[in-house]
Amino acid sequence: MRFWRSFRKKKTVKTDIYIMKFKKVLLNGLWNEMPPFKLVLGLCPALAVTSSAENGLGMGMATTFVLVLSNLVISLLRKVIPDKVRIASYIVVIATLVVIVEMLMKAYFFNLSQQLGIFIPLIVVNCIILGRAEAFASRNPAPLSVVDGVSIGIGYSISLTMIGIVRETLGAGTLFGVPIFWEGFEPFAFMVKAPGAFICLGVMLGLMNAYSRWRGEHLVQLQS
Amino acid sequence: MREIVRLVVVLTLICVVTAGALEILRVQLEPRIEMQEDLNVRGPALASLFGKPADELLANKVVFHHNDVDYPIFYLKENGEVTSLAIEAAGKGGYGGDVSIMIGIDLKRNRTLGMEIIKHAETPGVGSRIEKESFRKQWQKLPSTEDVALGKQIAAISGATYSSRAAINASNQIIAQVRDSKDEILALIQKKENG
Repeated sequence: MRFWRSFRKKKTVKTDIYIMKFKKVLLNGLWNEMPPFKLVLGLCPALAVTSSAENGLGMGMATTFVLVLSNLVISLLRKVIPDKVRIASYIVVIATLVVIVEMLMKAYFFNLSQQLGIFIPLIVVNCIILGRAEAFASRNPAPLSVVDGVSIGIGYSISLTMIGIVRETLGAGTLFGVPIFWEGFEPFAFMVKAPGAFICLGVMLGLMNAYSRWRGEHLVQLQS
Repeated sequence: MREIVRLVVVLTLICVVTAGALEILRVQLEPRIEMQEDLNVRGPALASLFGKPADELLANKVVFHHNDVDYPIFYLKENGEVTSLAIEAAGKGGYGGDVSIMIGIDLKRNRTLGMEIIKHAETPGVGSRIEKESFRKQWQKLPSTEDVALGKQIAAISGATYSSRAAINASNQIIAQVRDSKDEILALIQKKENG
């Protein structure tokens, strides 16, 4: 009886620590290290394909798919891959997953893949994916790495969709393709062009940093 | 030494496994990707040339191989007889690469039905004007056995001579196929119909 009680106690403490760890990793990507606002990585697609909310969401989903699977595979292989060729191995794994995403998109979401165009293959060189592989998946067990991939991926999708929503509503007067303004509304066409992307990202980044400072958080850039 | 061997073996194994996985997936998905491409890229052109919904026409496809070039050909049947063809060809000499066009041909009257642009990479706003109706409609009801030329049947778009010429090159390829290999194409279609 005594043995049983101690066993149970031990187990709950252990699972509690585990759950806490998972929760921390899960929330990490949604605020503390949310790309591209907090973790200023993956800016190229964030600027290039967010001309509409739909494109932003599609790009975020494609990146999440690659990120989760690359984290899983790399974490499983982390003891097999020798240190000296780790970057090459990661790139091979990531490139394979990106080609898979590209083929799946062409087969099932053809129009979206036409709109995202070259930026789907370019997920290979997205710093977020290699960054998470190097910083997280190569040091943590597989379940935790998958959670990290999900968290960062969802954070990135939310960010891209948000930028897309702002740019699309102001630049085209629509939201997910549905007109939302009155008839005579003249959209600011420059918001869906390249300069609008820079301005939108800059303003949103500034607002988020101001909010973080108001909450008394340290900025990620200052910590390192 | 042992370490180097390990590096090579691990990296090679990873590459082999991933390449194998990709190949399996490619074989699985290829027909679907091709179907989607036909539906989304060629579908609208076909529907406008033949005046019928694209999904009825996409199954009527053969690929004609001539001089190391593949020509995708769609056909329309009426009462068991092939009445019109729509042939696609890529014209060399565009400003940003090949210009792929599709021309519909009425086999009974030996006239063209019209021209549609399938794919191009011409400069937006300059060469991309080959997509415009005013340029394309010049291909309506031309004799389908005569080569076309700039300045004769077709007026080039000013400022986009390269793009216009690429379209002309592609249409002459198509016209040559119909003129010289019509029987072979019809035999190919017959073979496909008979399974």
